[in-house]
Amino acid sequence: MTALTSGSHRLQATVQATAAYLRLEVPRTLRNRRLLMLTVVFPVAFYLLFTRVLTGGVQFGNDERAFVMVSMAAYGAIGATLSAAVRVAMERTSGWTRQLRVTPMPALGYVTTKLVTAYLAAIPAIVLVMLAALTANQVTLPPFTWLSIFVALSLGALPFAALGVAIGYVFDESTAQLVFTISFVGLAVLGGLWAPISTFPEGLATMARMLPSFHFANLGWSALAGGGPDASDALALLAYGLVFVAIVAWRYRVGEQLGR
Amino acid sequence: MSELLHTQPSTISPTARPVAVAFEHVTKQYGDTVALHDVSIQIPIGQTVALLGPNGAGKSTSINLTLGLLDPTGGSVRTLGLRPREAIATGRVGALLQTSGLPVTARVGELVAFVRRLYPEPLAMQAILARSGLKDLERRPVETLSGGEAQRLRFAMAIAGDPELVFLDEPTVGMDVETRRAFWRDIRAFVAEGRTVLFATHYLDEADDAAERIVVLDHGRVVADGSARSIKARVSDRVVGFTLPTASPEVVAAIKAIPGVSGVDVAGERLAVATKDADAVIEQLFARGLRIRDLEIQGAGLEDAFIALTSSADPAA
Repeated sequence: MTALTSGSHRLQATVQATAAYLRLEVPRTLRNRRLLMLTVVFPVAFYLLFTRVLTGGVQFGNDERAFVMVSMAAYGAIGATLSAAVRVAMERTSGWTRQLRVTPMPALGYVTTKLVTAYLAAIPAIVLVMLAALTANQVTLPPFTWLSIFVALSLGALPFAALGVAIGYVFDESTAQLVFTISFVGLAVLGGLWAPISTFPEGLATMARMLPSFHFANLGWSALAGGGPDASDALALLAYGLVFVAIVAWRYRVGEQLGR
Repeated sequence: MSELLHTQPSTISPTARPVAVAFEHVTKQYGDTVALHDVSIQIPIGQTVALLGPNGAGKSTSINLTLGLLDPTGGSVRTLGLRPREAIATGRVGALLQTSGLPVTARVGELVAFVRRLYPEPLAMQAILARSGLKDLERRPVETLSGGEAQRLRFAMAIAGDPELVFLDEPTVGMDVETRRAFWRDIRAFVAEGRTVLFATHYLDEADDAAERIVVLDHGRVVADGSARSIKARVSDRVVGFTLPTASPEVVAAIKAIPGVSGVDVAGERLAVATKDADAVIEQLFARGLRIRDLEIQGAGLEDAFIALTSSADPAA
């Protein structure tokens, strides 16, 4: 057997195992009530709260309702993807990943499945906040703008899936829960998802503009404004994504050697 | 194909007797703690072997080494003639690990179906459920299973790939006696098909009932290796049991003092006297005019043999 066919055989085994694992993971993740709260209930509820109740006595117009829609969709997507940290850490602590290591599934199949599942969890959050905007808040936008907001947000969520899996790989179960909460709330608040960065003091605003959460939401806000995506947002998200994937790859190698 | 890739001298050549598991002078250290010390074991294809020993004896370490979850500090471990991780990748090995977590919100049937799909030639879904006693639990979420049911699910995952070599690390831990018996019936039926099985247990009756060979581990060393009968024969203790309603502490002390008596166990009116020479003890009991009834003489159980073996192997005990 040559190295080449052995390599392609391994790739095929990884693809098949990943497909099998996704078939288990996707329905299982949809049944996760905690995740449902995080990805669907909270973002939609906060969206309606911020645009209809906590408006400081002002009647929000179409522009504000659309702007907060992007913010809350980004907030929900970040929570959904990052929460993979807790599930990955839990499965490493409980020994489920050890059980997988005594099956023929390549370890890369586990990492790939977790990345894909983490990412997929972001989609309902984005779609449902946009639906709430369309129905409950009667936001009107050109069809192309709806589409470009959805595309911008669903692509921009990718690095956060890698960050979630990375946190789950670096920390154990109890710490990962804490790190998830801090990074989720921190990224959302400091990235300007709860209150626009224009309301921040200057120093804080400069720092906020460096966060991946700001670049992520800004992709959506740019799409809403009708312009093309800002290249600096796309590049920043790409750079963050590569760093997070590198952390996952590093921890994956360490895990290979330690057998967990 | 793979023979060409192996240059290690310990690789089994095709003409040699096929060996399922081979430990050659294996040592495993965690920091300063020696978990296994110079262990050499060969398990031929088709054998059912029990690894027996108290907690911390090195049973789980041995199993984790054969599965490639750990690497030895010294010596070599081969599984089906391959490096352990390569053996796992072939899909010819199945394992039930001690207290491995299950993914919550997954259903029993989904989990078994998933594990099946990872193997090249798995057993049929219905066969797996029947053999592991999970037929009625297929729709149950895993977090609602009892301890015994969860162990059955772990067993199902171990056999799903129709493996020729199966590792079971304390498979019946946390089960009540009735459940254990039913579970072992299922395991034995699976083993009877010519598979190789290595299981770890500290339940001595399980080793005696299910294994054709027992390897006794203590403090990381092999202290005995052979059939259950040969291990029992190494300790010649017999137990003389009888009923004695008038057994005062003085009488018990007097019985203990009989030459050759190694211990006396009192349970109400029933006494059990451990000795190497049952005849001499009975003679002495009658000579002292004790009115004993319901006399019984038994060979020592594996448990007694086990205690004798492990305590003699450890100079500190």
